[in-house]
Amino acid sequence: MQKGPPVIGVSRAINKICDLVDHVADTGLNIIIAGETGVGKEVIAQNLYQKSPRCGKPFVKVNCAALPEGLLESELYGYERGAFTGAEQKKRGKFELANGGVLFLDEIGDMPILLQSKLLHVLQSGEFAPLGSEKEFKTDTWLIAATNHNLEDEIKNKTFREDLYYRLNIIKISIPPLRERPEDIPHLLNYYIGVYTSKFNNRSILQPSQALLNKLTEYHWPGNVRELQNVLKRVLVIGDWDEIIDELDFSGSTHEISEQEQVRTDQSIPASNHFFFKNGEKPDLKSFSLKEIKKKALDKVEKEAISYVLEKTGWNRSKASKILQISYKTLLYKISDLGITPPAG
Amino acid sequence: MKKGYKVLIIDDSEEILRAYKKFFRKKNYIVSTASNGLDGLKILEAEPCDYDLVITDIVMPNISGVGIISIVKKKFPDILIIAITGWGEHPEMLASEAEADLVLDKPIDLSELDKLIINLLESKKKLL
Repeated sequence: MQKGPPVIGVSRAINKICDLVDHVADTGLNIIIAGETGVGKEVIAQNLYQKSPRCGKPFVKVNCAALPEGLLESELYGYERGAFTGAEQKKRGKFELANGGVLFLDEIGDMPILLQSKLLHVLQSGEFAPLGSEKEFKTDTWLIAATNHNLEDEIKNKTFREDLYYRLNIIKISIPPLRERPEDIPHLLNYYIGVYTSKFNNRSILQPSQALLNKLTEYHWPGNVRELQNVLKRVLVIGDWDEIIDELDFSGSTHEISEQEQVRTDQSIPASNHFFFKNGEKPDLKSFSLKEIKKKALDKVEKEAISYVLEKTGWNRSKASKILQISYKTLLYKISDLGITPPAG
Repeated sequence: MKKGYKVLIIDDSEEILRAYKKFFRKKNYIVSTASNGLDGLKILEAEPCDYDLVITDIVMPNISGVGIISIVKKKFPDILIIAITGWGEHPEMLASEAEADLVLDKPIDLSELDKLIINLLESKKKLL
C-alpha cells in the first residue's frame, strides 16, 4: 500500500493524537476515530496501520454510507456461489481480504442496525460466515472505525447499538475541527502547497502574504482540511489568492458576536413569556424539573430547525439530513419523535 | 498490614481520584493517579516494575478501561488489575473478557475494596 500522508500540525490536540497513536498502534485493539467531515480520520487510521506490526499486510477500506444494506453485507462478508439470484460466482468479502491486516470502516454511524448486529457477532466470536455459507471462518482483522456522528446520541435515538459501541470504543481518538486549532492552519497550507507544487509539474502556488495568512487562519473552515486542500487546488488553477478568498463565506467565523447578540435578545424576553410558563401562569414548583425544561427547550429548537430545513428542501429528507449534518436515520427518527408533519396538500 | 504496595488509579473524575488517594494513602499504599487511559499507560511505562496493582474506571476518554486492561495484561502481566464499572453489563462483560483480575460495580465500599486487594495480592504472592 502507498504510504499515507503524515499528520500535520503543532496544536496541543494534534500532538496528543500523535502521542496516542504511538501508544496504541501495536495493540490491535478496536478503535473509533471521531471527528467532523474532512478533519483527516483516514489519515489517522493509515498512521495507526503504518506504525503497527500489521504494516505491509492489507489495509481495506469500506464506506458504510456508500452502499445500500444488502450490498454492504455482501461487500463485508462475501457470498457463496448460488447464495442468491445472480450470485454466479463466489465472492470474497472485505473481512476475508483484510485478514491479518486492517479493516477500516468509514461512516460506521450509517451502518444499518441489522448489519450492526452481524458485526457485533463477528467482533465477539472472531468468526464470520459469507452469505449462503454454512461454515464460519476465523478472522484476524484489526478493526478501525470512523464516524462524523455523535454515536452517543445515536444510541439514545436507538439507531446505534450500545453493545457494539462499547466493543468498538476500546480506544477513541477524537480529532477536533480545524477552527478549534487555528495554529495548525499555516502548517497545513505550507505542507499542501509543497505537495501540489511538486504534483502539478512544479506550477507554483504563491506563498500567501501575512495578511492573507491571518485571514485564512480566521476562517472557520466548515469542510476542515479537505476544504483547505480544495482551496489550494483552486488557487493553483486560477493563480490568484484574492479571488478565492472572496469566494469563502466568512459569516460563520463571526459566531461569537452573534452569540453575544443572542444573549441580549434572550435577556429582553420577559420571564413570563418563557415557554415553561403555561398560558402565562406561574409554574407549579412541585413538578418543576430543570432536566424536563432543558429537554422541552431542546425539542422546541430542534423542531423549528428541522421544520425550517425540510420546508426549504421541499421535504427532501436526504438533502435535509445533509444540511443538518445528521444521518438520514436520525432525521427520520426526529421527524416522528418531534411530531413534524409535512404541509397539507 | 504489609506496607508499601504501589497502586495506580485511573479515573476521569477528579473527585473520585481524590477520595481514592486519601483512602489508600491512609492505608499506607503508595498511590499514583491518572485522569485518562493514555496518561495511566505512560506512568506504567515509565516505571514498569514498580506497580503491584492498577485500579481503573471503564468508560474514559482516549484509552478506555477495557483497553488499559488488555494492554496491561499483555505488556505488564505481573501487575494485578481491578476494573470498576458503573455503566451496565456490556462494559463489565468486556472487562472480564479482557481478563481483569477483579470486576466491581459502582458504588464501591472502600474498606471492602481494601480487603479484596489484600486477598488478591496475598494469593498472588503464594503463587510465586
